[in-house]
Amino acid sequence: MSDYFKTDWAAMTATDWVGLTLTVVIFVLMVIAYVQVFRPKHRDSLEARKHIPFEEDIEDIGDNDGGK
Amino acid sequence: MEATADRLAEQKYSFDVVRWFTIMAVVYLVVGAAVGVYIASELAWPFLNFDSPYLSFGRLRPVHTNAVIFAFGGCTLMATAFYTVQRTCGVRLWSEKLAWFTFWGWNAIIVLAVITLPLGLTQAKEYAELEWPIDILIAVVWLAFTINFIMTIAIRKTSHIYVSNWFFLGMMVMIVYLHVVNSLSIPVGLFKSYSLFSGVQDAMIQWWWGHNAVGFYLTAGFLGIMYYFVPKQANRPVYSYRLSVIHFWALMFGYVWLGAHHLQYTALPDWTGSLGAAVSLAMIIPSWGGAVNGMMTLSGAWDKLRTDYVLRFLIIALAFYAMSTFEGPVMSLKTVNALSHYTDWTIGHVHSGALGWVAGISIGAIYHLMTRLWHTEMWSESLVNVHFWTATIGTVIYVVAMWVSGIMQGLMWRAYDEYGTLAYTFVESVAAMHPYYAMRAVGGGIFLLGAIIMLFNVLMTVGKASLQGSLREARGTLTPAAA
Repeated sequence: MSDYFKTDWAAMTATDWVGLTLTVVIFVLMVIAYVQVFRPKHRDSLEARKHIPFEEDIEDIGDNDGGK
Repeated sequence: MEATADRLAEQKYSFDVVRWFTIMAVVYLVVGAAVGVYIASELAWPFLNFDSPYLSFGRLRPVHTNAVIFAFGGCTLMATAFYTVQRTCGVRLWSEKLAWFTFWGWNAIIVLAVITLPLGLTQAKEYAELEWPIDILIAVVWLAFTINFIMTIAIRKTSHIYVSNWFFLGMMVMIVYLHVVNSLSIPVGLFKSYSLFSGVQDAMIQWWWGHNAVGFYLTAGFLGIMYYFVPKQANRPVYSYRLSVIHFWALMFGYVWLGAHHLQYTALPDWTGSLGAAVSLAMIIPSWGGAVNGMMTLSGAWDKLRTDYVLRFLIIALAFYAMSTFEGPVMSLKTVNALSHYTDWTIGHVHSGALGWVAGISIGAIYHLMTRLWHTEMWSESLVNVHFWTATIGTVIYVVAMWVSGIMQGLMWRAYDEYGTLAYTFVESVAAMHPYYAMRAVGGGIFLLGAIIMLFNVLMTVGKASLQGSLREARGTLTPAAA
């Protein structure tokens, strides 16, 4: 098993390091995303946004110039 | 309330370009499916080549794929993206002129594809066959589409960007750089160029594009459609917004790694294919999370499926999405890939995604759009029902034929006799495929029949709206004060 995970760090090229760094950064970002999204205190604020497609149907439409 | 909101929206937003993209999407669905049925029939009955190079399978196959993916799929994505971004951001499109440029530019690209591909003018890269001048035009038009979408979000009146727009935006950004990098080539004439890459690097770049065209164009973009149109058609908010956020980020971060699984047992380093397969398996989690999220939107209101055929299209599409996002990772495993690669199983897998998921969710969204954009009911609800069953039955026949054919091919190709020699010649495997190729042509024909019925119903609905004056009325007579 130790042979399977053995890495020749001296042989790593610049491309290898860029790839490894990206992989680790993305993994960490995904963990942060999971934690943030599923934190109980964020539940109500996130779930409130699922009503956006229906809010326009009950709101006054306001001006129609695209905010210009 | 819903009809009133749609009439107010008619006055508030730019819907003319959405209407044209919607109609052209249905036209291209018929054209693309018709070419598909023709080339499927050529494989079953080769005399249909008529010894003409312009009608040969090799030249018409990219016409079929470009027509269904970029003409039908592209027009659907552009119609739905321009529609949902306005309705969820509460503002008109940033630039109507740029939207019309996108419409005419995209259609010009499609016409150029239909002319050049049968003439044999091709870069021979799958799903990226068009020659370099057309590639440049695609980049310009796609950037115009993307900039208009981003700027519309930038001037929005809502504080939050609804999740469907995230998926559309993710698709747009990724397709810009996937298309540009994969199309890098050295022109040696107006209609001839050579890829900037060579050997295994060229293959890797090609499949980095190829699988991400599936992942970002045919998945992320159509998930953008799903997250708006399923809740709107069901008249219920999406089951879990938190799940949709995780679905989005996992898809964005994960999909780019998968391309290497198309190159198992090739000159590509072995670990690259293993990595592609491992991440493919991991992608089952967000994919199924998204599919369940869409289906569970109907939680407590499943009875709607009894009467709402548009909703049926949307939900059956999610079932196919779940099925093909499980099948794909399984096929990427080296053990399974050794049997499935280069066989018709791949074609069956692709079409369960293309006909079941992409076309299903598109057709549902287009029927939804028809009633909102022309402010009338469909000309015939019964024909929508007939279309649902022809599309579903046609897809199932097609996919089953290719599954059986593909697995049989794989088993015949690797069967050995007691002396260690191949048990079957290649020609014997081709002959064994004939009944399944005929079955595939029948399945495709049934699907095409449904598409023709849809086009007829859509055109009759436009005519009905014109006679009733429902669009004119929505444009002019209702004011916010009157509402």
